[in-house]
Amino acid sequence: MVITLGFEGSANKIGVGIIRDGKVLANVRKTYVTPPGFGFLPKETAEHHREKILGILKEALEVSKVEIKDIDVICYTKGPGMAPPLLTVAIAARTIAQVWNKPILGVNHCIGHIEMGRLITKAKNPTVLYVSGGNTQVIAYSNRKYRIFGETIDIAVGNCLDRFARIIKISNDPSPGYNIEQLAKKGTKYYPLPYSVKGMDISFSGILSEIEKKALPHKANKNRKKKVEDEELPSHEDLCFSLQETIFAMLVEITERAMAHCGSHEVLIVGGVGCNERLQEMMGIMCKERNAKLFATDERFCIDNGIMIAHAGWEMFTTGTRMKWDEATITQRYRTDDVEVTWDVASDE
Amino acid sequence: MEDIKIKIIIPFPTNRAAQIAYDVLRIDPEPKRNHIKKEYVLDDNILSVEFCGDIAKNVRTALTNFYESLILCVETQDQFGPPLSEEYNYY
Repeated sequence: MVITLGFEGSANKIGVGIIRDGKVLANVRKTYVTPPGFGFLPKETAEHHREKILGILKEALEVSKVEIKDIDVICYTKGPGMAPPLLTVAIAARTIAQVWNKPILGVNHCIGHIEMGRLITKAKNPTVLYVSGGNTQVIAYSNRKYRIFGETIDIAVGNCLDRFARIIKISNDPSPGYNIEQLAKKGTKYYPLPYSVKGMDISFSGILSEIEKKALPHKANKNRKKKVEDEELPSHEDLCFSLQETIFAMLVEITERAMAHCGSHEVLIVGGVGCNERLQEMMGIMCKERNAKLFATDERFCIDNGIMIAHAGWEMFTTGTRMKWDEATITQRYRTDDVEVTWDVASDE
Repeated sequence: MEDIKIKIIIPFPTNRAAQIAYDVLRIDPEPKRNHIKKEYVLDDNILSVEFCGDIAKNVRTALTNFYESLILCVETQDQFGPPLSEEYNYY
């Protein structure tokens, strides 16, 4: 029996999770929500995490009912992410490890998402689409590494959605992506947007500029003689609908190509954008056509959480990974394929 | 050129508490662009840290960041301590 405790706080979510051999004992999370039109900035986010982290830890310990002596290892997010929030979490994790005299283990955030997704859905060796506010990657496992088949060449898909939410000033509570999804359900008219798949990679920044022009023509074209009347403006619902349809189609396309390349019959969607039901629906249609199976999780596990770090840490710890104290630092850049996979994913040919 | 020097001396209630703060805080490198030299010294229950740099703004930033980390470390010890062992037994 191995119990691990995981701290996550690489972006605007702060979470603590406790897991025992794949059984979730506690999963507590808080989100730093900014006013409409504003994003979360590193300094303020770190401040939020500093305020909340100890309360969340206490709550997780109460919920899980584990005794401190039974916890085997303290895990935290080593990277990638914003430096100030990562550092806040690392400081708390290190102090806890020292006070309780437990080993410490830094976990790659992306690996956390993948392992969490595999645990919850029981997918064996899926092609993974990792979509969140900071990352967009298509990943498949091969030869002790999660290999990146395709990724964004500029901003992440979630960043594109978040920034569009700020442009049209919709609420960030519970998350901008969720609110866009709700508006998109009422959209009926499709406005064409650039479709930018570049081989296995994708790009979102051009789409964002284009949709900003459609949403705020006054701002985009100040010298325009003819004044645009409000009635002429596309509705927010239609814009959200058009944006989602376009970017999700791009994601489905590269995922399908990665599957064809690997001969894979499983798709796993992880990351915060992964709880978007329209994305799941579109991916499901593609999977059905290919006789593949789609795996996805709900917002408890899709969105950043402590459990994913605890579980990935569990996989690492039980297969012998240890970390020296002086290595318990953070790093903003930490690619998915930097991590040597020591646990069993699939039988390597 | 390292004109500006700030030394802060922090007494802790016990040697172990000071040791923990020392170990938790010392391992993060200063950002390279900051051009700050930071030196930690642990002497029983006293932790002292010296910041050296030639740009006042950078020294101030380094100091502010240090305080934020220190406060979190101390609060964590207060709420989840006292330490269960006199020394840390892992790697």
